[in-house]
Amino acid sequence: MRSILKFALCAVLLCFLATMPIFAAGKTFVIGMSQCNLGEPWRVQMNADVKREADKHPEIKMVFKDAQNDVLTQRAQVEEFVSAKIDLLIISPKEAQPLAEPVAKAMAAGIPVIVLDRDINGENYTQFIGANNVKIGRALGAWLVKNYGGKHAKVVEIMGLQTSTPGQDRHSGFMDAIKGSDLDVIFSVDAQWLEPQARSEMESALSRFNNIDIVYGHNDPSAHGAYVAAQAVGREKSMVFVGIDSLPQEGIQYVKQGILNATFQYPTGGDVAIVQALKILAGQKVEKRIVLGSRMFTKANVDAGGVAIP
Amino acid sequence: MLQTIRRALTSSAGRAFLELLLVILLGVAFNADGAFFKVGTHRDTLRQASVYGILACGMTLVMITGGIDLSVGSILAVSSVSFSILTMHMDWPWWLAIIACLFLGSALGSMSGALVSNLKLQPFIATLALMSFARGFAKLITDGKKISTYVEQGGKVIIKQLPPVFKFIDSSILGGDVSIVSVIFLVCFLAAWVFLARHKWGRELYSIGGNEEAARLSGVPVRMAKFLAYTFSGLMCAVAGIAQAAQETQGDPVTGDGYELIVISMVAIGGTSLAGGRGGMGLTLLGILTIGYLNKILSINAVPDAGRRMITGVIIVLAVLMQKRRTK
Repeated sequence: MRSILKFALCAVLLCFLATMPIFAAGKTFVIGMSQCNLGEPWRVQMNADVKREADKHPEIKMVFKDAQNDVLTQRAQVEEFVSAKIDLLIISPKEAQPLAEPVAKAMAAGIPVIVLDRDINGENYTQFIGANNVKIGRALGAWLVKNYGGKHAKVVEIMGLQTSTPGQDRHSGFMDAIKGSDLDVIFSVDAQWLEPQARSEMESALSRFNNIDIVYGHNDPSAHGAYVAAQAVGREKSMVFVGIDSLPQEGIQYVKQGILNATFQYPTGGDVAIVQALKILAGQKVEKRIVLGSRMFTKANVDAGGVAIP
Repeated sequence: MLQTIRRALTSSAGRAFLELLLVILLGVAFNADGAFFKVGTHRDTLRQASVYGILACGMTLVMITGGIDLSVGSILAVSSVSFSILTMHMDWPWWLAIIACLFLGSALGSMSGALVSNLKLQPFIATLALMSFARGFAKLITDGKKISTYVEQGGKVIIKQLPPVFKFIDSSILGGDVSIVSVIFLVCFLAAWVFLARHKWGRELYSIGGNEEAARLSGVPVRMAKFLAYTFSGLMCAVAGIAQAAQETQGDPVTGDGYELIVISMVAIGGTSLAGGRGGMGLTLLGILTIGYLNKILSINAVPDAGRRMITGVIIVLAVLMQKRRTK
C-alpha cells in the first residue's frame, strides 16, 4: 500500500514537473520544424537559416526534427508535434501527397503550418514559401545565351537526379531558355547530385569530346566535380562552369576561387519562414504563397552579394 | 594443347577473365566515337575503380571466411571526414593524420570483428550494425556538414589552403597516365594478395570458410583469424576514405553510401564465393576491372540512369552464372 502511495506521489510530481515548462514558458512560442532530410547540405543550411533568424527572437523556442528522408517518419514527427500542441509548424515535406493528410490534421488542431520549399497537395496549409527551379534553370540558360551565344558553344549538362522534381525542373527551365539559340547540348548525364559521380561522368565527356565550352552542373558540387575532372587533364581553362544552389561554403566559395564562373542561388527560405511565422503568430493575415527571389553570383559581383535575377 | 586451353577457360580465373573480355568487347563495340580507345579513358576507369578496389581487398578476405562486411561505405565516410577534419581544421601534419585515420578505421573494423568472432553474431547483422553506427559517427563529428577548406571559427569564416597531401593523392604519375589512387590500390592489392596466397593467415581464412568446425579442430585460431580479417577490412576502408577525401577535396559524411553493394558485386563476379572457402585476390582484380569498365562504357555512351541499373543487373547475373561450377 505504501509503495503504491509512493508511486502515485512520484507520478503526480512527475506530471507536474513535465507541465512546468508550459506554465513557465508563458508568452514564448514553440515552433516545430520538420525537416525531411538532414543528409543534404542544402537542408542543413535551411535549418541553420531558420535557427539564425529564430535566435534573434527570444520569444521563439525552436524544436527541430529530422525525418531522415523517410515519409512515414516525417508523418510520425508531424503527429508528435500536434500532440505536443506546438504553436506553429514549419515543414519541408519529403513528398507532396503522403504529407498532405498529417498537415491537414495539424491545421484542424489549430496549429498554423508553413510549408517550406516543396509543395504539398491541396490548399490546406497557412502559407507556402519556396523558390522556383524552372525559373532558376531558365535564368541560367538565358545568362549563358547572352554571354556565350553566337559562338556555337558546346554544352555538357551534369544533371541532378532525373527522378526528382528539382532535377527535372532545372533541366526543363534550362532547355526552355536555350531553345532557338546556337548553344548545343552534346552530353547530358544524370550524376544524381553527387560530386564523385559528376567527376566520373565529366571524365567520360572529356575523353569523348575534344571541344567542350560550357559545363552546366545542376548543383554546385556537380559543377565542381566536373571542374576537377577537367583540371586533371589541363582543359579547365577553356571551359565555363556554372552551377546552382550558392551555398556559402560551396558555390559562393567556388566562384570566389575562380572555379565556377557563375552560381545561381536556390534560396532555402529558412529566414523568411521565421519572419512569416512571427506575423502569423501575431494574428496578421499573410499571403498564401511566397515565391522566393533568387540571386546570381559571378566573380565580379560576389563580394557585393550578387545580383537579383528577374 | 586444346585441353590446356579448355582447362584454363573452365577455371575460375579463366571464366572471370572471359567476363572481363566480354565487357571490354562491349566497349570496343560501343566505343563512343573512339573515346574508348584513348589512354585517358582507361586511366579514368582505373581511378574510378580504385576506391572500390581498395574496399574489395578487405572484402575478399572477409568473404573467404564465409562472412560479409556491409559497413565498408560507412567506415570509409568516417575516415574521409576524420582525415579532412585533422588536416584542414586542426592542421595536423599529413602523416600523423593518415596514421590516426588508419587506426580509427581498423578500430571500427575490429568492432565488427569482435562482434562476429567473440560474440558469435552473424556477420550480416554485426556489420549491418556497424554500418549504421559508423554512419552516425561520421555525421556526429561533422555536425552533418561537409568538411572543407571553408572553416567557421567563432562566427568568423576562414578559407584555408587545401593541404598539399590532397593534391598529391589526387595527382597522376608516369606522364599523367596513372593516378596515385590507382597506385595506392595496387599496394593494398599486393598486401592482400601476400596475406591470402603466401601467408599462414590466408590459409587459415580459407580453411575457416571451407569448414569452420574442422578448422577449429585442426588447431586453426579461428577467432583471431576472423577478428583480424574484419580489422583488415576496416583498415582498407580507412585507406579508401583518405583517397575519397583527396579526390573530393572535402570530407562528406554521406559519401560512400551504397558502396558495399558495388564492392560485394565486384568480389562475387570475380568468383569469390559468398559461402566462403573459395576465391582469391586475382579473381577480385578481374571482378573490379569488369565492373569498373562496365561503368565506364555506360558512362561514355551517356546511357541514362534507369538503363544503367538494368544493364548492370543483367551483367551481374550473367557473370555469376558463368562462374557457377557445373556439377558433374
